[in-house]
Amino acid sequence: METLDTSTSKKRSFFQFWNQPKHAAYLFMAPSIIVLLLFMVIPLLGTLGLSFFNINIFFTNTKFVGWDNFVRFFSDQRAINSMWHTLYFTLLETPTQVILGTVAAAALSQGSLFNRFTRSVFYVPVICSLTSIGIIFSMLLDPNIGWIPYFLHQFGMSTPQFFRDAHLAMPSIAFMTVWKNFGVTMTIMLTAIQAISPSLYESAEMDGATKRQQFFHITIPQIIPSLGFCVMTNLIGSMQVFDQIYVTTAGGPEFKTESAVQYIYSRGFSAPYELGYASSVATILFIIIAVLAVSSNMYMSHKEKQMK
Amino acid sequence: MEAQATTTKKNGYHKAQLVRSILFKVLMLIVIVIVLFPFIWLLISSFKFEKDIITYPPHIFSSKYTFENYIKVWDTIPLMQYIKNTVIFAGATMIISVVLDSMTGYALARMQFRGKTFFYYFVMTTMMIPFMVYMIPLFIEINKLNMLDTYAGLIIPRATTAFGIFMMRSYFVGLPRDLEEAARIDGLNEFGIFTKIMMPLAKPSLMALAVFTLTNNWNDLLYPLILTSTSDMRTLPAGLALFTGQHISFYGPVMAGAVISMLPLFVIYIFAQKYFVQGTAMSGMKE
Repeated sequence: METLDTSTSKKRSFFQFWNQPKHAAYLFMAPSIIVLLLFMVIPLLGTLGLSFFNINIFFTNTKFVGWDNFVRFFSDQRAINSMWHTLYFTLLETPTQVILGTVAAAALSQGSLFNRFTRSVFYVPVICSLTSIGIIFSMLLDPNIGWIPYFLHQFGMSTPQFFRDAHLAMPSIAFMTVWKNFGVTMTIMLTAIQAISPSLYESAEMDGATKRQQFFHITIPQIIPSLGFCVMTNLIGSMQVFDQIYVTTAGGPEFKTESAVQYIYSRGFSAPYELGYASSVATILFIIIAVLAVSSNMYMSHKEKQMK
Repeated sequence: MEAQATTTKKNGYHKAQLVRSILFKVLMLIVIVIVLFPFIWLLISSFKFEKDIITYPPHIFSSKYTFENYIKVWDTIPLMQYIKNTVIFAGATMIISVVLDSMTGYALARMQFRGKTFFYYFVMTTMMIPFMVYMIPLFIEINKLNMLDTYAGLIIPRATTAFGIFMMRSYFVGLPRDLEEAARIDGLNEFGIFTKIMMPLAKPSLMALAVFTLTNNWNDLLYPLILTSTSDMRTLPAGLALFTGQHISFYGPVMAGAVISMLPLFVIYIFAQKYFVQGTAMSGMKE
C-alpha cells in the first residue's frame, strides 16, 4: 500500500505542480516563446553578427572582416541610392495615407447604411496582395492599353510612361500603395473617432462651431495617440517597401525605384550572394527605421501633451 | 451628419446641409468607383481575347468572351500547385498561430507568475521588429535545418505572432475575474479551463485573428520568396510575381492568375467582413 501510494502521489504532485497557474503559465507560453526566440530573436542577433563577415550563400570563403562591410556601404552608390529611394517613397506614402485615411474615417464615422457600405468598399483593396494590385496597376498605367494614360490623353495631356519614367515611377508606386492601404488607416482612425464622447460635439455645436472647426479642434486632438500610431506603423512599413516595386518596376528604370529591402534581397539572394554585406545594409536600414520610429513617436507624444 | 441636419430648425441652414450631404455622397461615389473600377475591369478583361485587351482606346466591355486565359494560365504555370501551397501554408499557419497566440495571450492576461512583465515586454518588443532585418539569418537557419522548400520551413517560423498574442491578451484581460475560480472549484484543470471555458468565449476575437493571419500569409511575397526556391513550393503571390516577370507580353493569362489568387479572400471577406475590420481595428489599439 505504502509504495503504491508514493508512486501515484508522485504522479499527482507532478500534475498538481504544473496545474498551478503560476507554473502552468510557462507551459502555455512555451511554444510561442520558443518560436519567437528561434526564428526571430536569434536571427536578429545573427544579422548583427553577419554584418561583420564576408559570407556567401554557399558558405565558402567565410571570413571576419570587421567594419569593412559598413565602410563599403558608404562608397556603394547603389546602396545609398536605395536608401534615398526608400525615404522618398516613405515621404510620399505615409503622409498621404494617414491624411486620406483620417479624412475618410471622419467623413464616414456615422453609422448610416451609405457610410457603412462605403467603408466596406474602401477596405476591399486591403485584403488583396500587393502582387495582384501591382499586376492590375501595371496594366492600368500601361501607356499602350491603360485607362489612366487614356484619360489623361483625353484631357489633352501627353501620355506619361508612369512605371517606366524615372520621375513618375516612384510617385506612381506610392499612389498605388495608398490606394491599396488607406482602408487600414481609415479603420484604425474610425475606431478612435467613434470612441470620442458625443457630448464634446454637442457642446461645440451649441457654441456654433462649424464641422471643420469641430474636426480640427475636437476630433484631431482626441485622436492624436491613434494618429501617432498610424504614422509610426506606416513609417516602419513604408521603409520596408518591397512587394509592389518587385512586381511593377523591379527597381527600374536604371535602379531609380530600387528600395533598400530590394537591394538587400538582390545582394543576398542573387549572384554573388553576399549575405554578409546584405546583412550590414539590413543593419543600417534597421538603425534608420528605429531612429525614424522613435523620433516620430517622441514628436507625437509631445504633440499629445501640448494638445491636452 | 444627416441626422443632425434634420434636427436643425432653421430652413436655410437645413438646405445648405442638404446640398453638402449630396455633394458628399457624390464625392464618395467617385472614390468608390476609383476603388472598385480596377477590380471590375480586371475581372471582365480576364475573360477577353488577348486582342481585345490590348485595344487603344481601352474598352470595358468586349463583344466576345472566352475562358482561354484561364486555360492558358493553367497550362503555363503550375497554378494548382501554387494554390495548394498557399492553402497549406496560409491555412496551417492560421490554425497553429491562433492556438499558440491565444495560449500565450491567455497566460499573460490571467495568470500570475514570475517574470510576467518580462515576458510581456519581450513579446511587445518583437512586434516592432521588421521582417527584413532578420530575414537573411532566418534563411541560413532554415537552410541549415534542411527545411528550405518544405511546408514546415514556411509554417513554423510563422507559427506565432506578437500581434496575435497582444490581441488575444487584450481580449482575455477584459473577461470577469471570477470566471476561472468557479471552474477551478468544479475541479477543472488549467488546460481544461482554457479549452472549455475561455476559448469558446473568445470566438469572435479568434475569428478576427484568424482572418488577419490568413490574409497576411496568403498575400505575403518576400517571405515565401526567400524560403522557397523551387517552382513546386511557390505560393500564389511568389509564383505570380515571377510569372509576371517572364510573360508580361501576354496580359490575359496574368489577369486570370491575379483573379484566381484574389478570389478566395474576396469570398471570405463577403461573409466575414466584420472580422477583417475588427482585426485591423485591433492592430491600432494601444493600451
